[in-house]
Amino acid sequence: MTFSLLHATDFADRLLYKIIPPLKAGMIVLADRYAYTAFARDATRGVDRQWVRELYSFAVKPDLVLYFRVPIDVSLDRLMARRVKLKFYEAGMDLGWSNNPVESFRLFQGKVLDEYDRIVDEYGLEVISAGESITEQQRLVRSLISRQVATTNAEMTDDEPL
Amino acid sequence: MTSPSDPSAPVDGANGGIQPGRYYSRGIPYLPIDGYPGKLIAVEGTDGVGRSTQIQLLREWLEVKGYGVVETGWTRSPLMQPTIELAKSSNTLNKLTFVLLYATDFADRLEKEIIPALKAGFVVLSDRYIFTALARAGVRGIDRAWLRTLYGFAIAPHLVFYLNIDVKNLIQRVLATRGMDFWESGMDLKTGDDIYDSFRSYQNKLLKEYASMADEFNFRVVDARHPIDRIQDELQRQVEAFLEPSEKPAEPALAR
Repeated sequence: MTFSLLHATDFADRLLYKIIPPLKAGMIVLADRYAYTAFARDATRGVDRQWVRELYSFAVKPDLVLYFRVPIDVSLDRLMARRVKLKFYEAGMDLGWSNNPVESFRLFQGKVLDEYDRIVDEYGLEVISAGESITEQQRLVRSLISRQVATTNAEMTDDEPL
Repeated sequence: MTSPSDPSAPVDGANGGIQPGRYYSRGIPYLPIDGYPGKLIAVEGTDGVGRSTQIQLLREWLEVKGYGVVETGWTRSPLMQPTIELAKSSNTLNKLTFVLLYATDFADRLEKEIIPALKAGFVVLSDRYIFTALARAGVRGIDRAWLRTLYGFAIAPHLVFYLNIDVKNLIQRVLATRGMDFWESGMDLKTGDDIYDSFRSYQNKLLKEYASMADEFNFRVVDARHPIDRIQDELQRQVEAFLEPSEKPAEPALAR
């Protein structure tokens, strides 16, 4: 619970200082992770799914949500290539499922991915296969964003004359 | 929490939708609390109303009777207290983060102090409970339905005593003791520079918020203008009537 609430506090702080002001100014805000990360992680830690969703009901609903889906083995390979030690919470070591960080990561992140799959349907996330090449992923990302920006721009009307 | 009263429930203003000793709503799925032997007693009331004095006396009385007693109080969690103090002093807190920090503190104490104590059969005396958070946030314009959902992981106390006072008496009591402080005067609401006026208007609103929760959460309202002893007698009478039918603790070794 405290893990969940501390992240919600941090999120609220960033929402009010870093996200809402630029949105009001008509800018595009790119968020690396959003409330959906909390939905997936907290539910995996045994927090009530509906409660977390209602907790974050103060959040702004994004115009577009991209979900980069990756198989566990691919993400483990990438992480292990960059650093030797998996982060304690990233591996879900706090849950005590396994004393082996790699094994714990596999168990924990496997359940996190299951939660994400629920969320994809529930909130209509755009899924991008992170197994594809970076160029291919970027092509898809650009096409999704261009489409979104095109529809949003047409609605913007509150520019003040100089 | 707004469900209509169960007709079989006691008629003393009790809310049938609330089951003492159980989670208010969805609770904490990984911490089932059914059948825990401990009792949770909350003493609520605004700043300076005399809660701590009464809790101190209740604790001594209960311990003499042979009960194990654990106290818990607002923002006393080891995890969150330094963070909350830091955030209060840094001027970066807004209404929402304020609410969430308090909720985190409460969650920490619930998981690490209150639930383990209830499991072990203690009487837990809580100096303030979620109602203080609901009142403070309600006054600051946070959505009341959202707040009740947020605190749906809390345990409904077996007894909630609400020490009720009017603003005039409260002002005299606070001025006679430690004086008015920035937060207790709601100076963050920026209704004016005058601390006296701000205290009066802020505490007035807080008292209204508390009063509006009395039926919803089955408060046992106690008149806090009475002398300390008389209030204590009243609390002891009600606590005794509640604890008596439940399992009695071991008699003290020496009868005096």
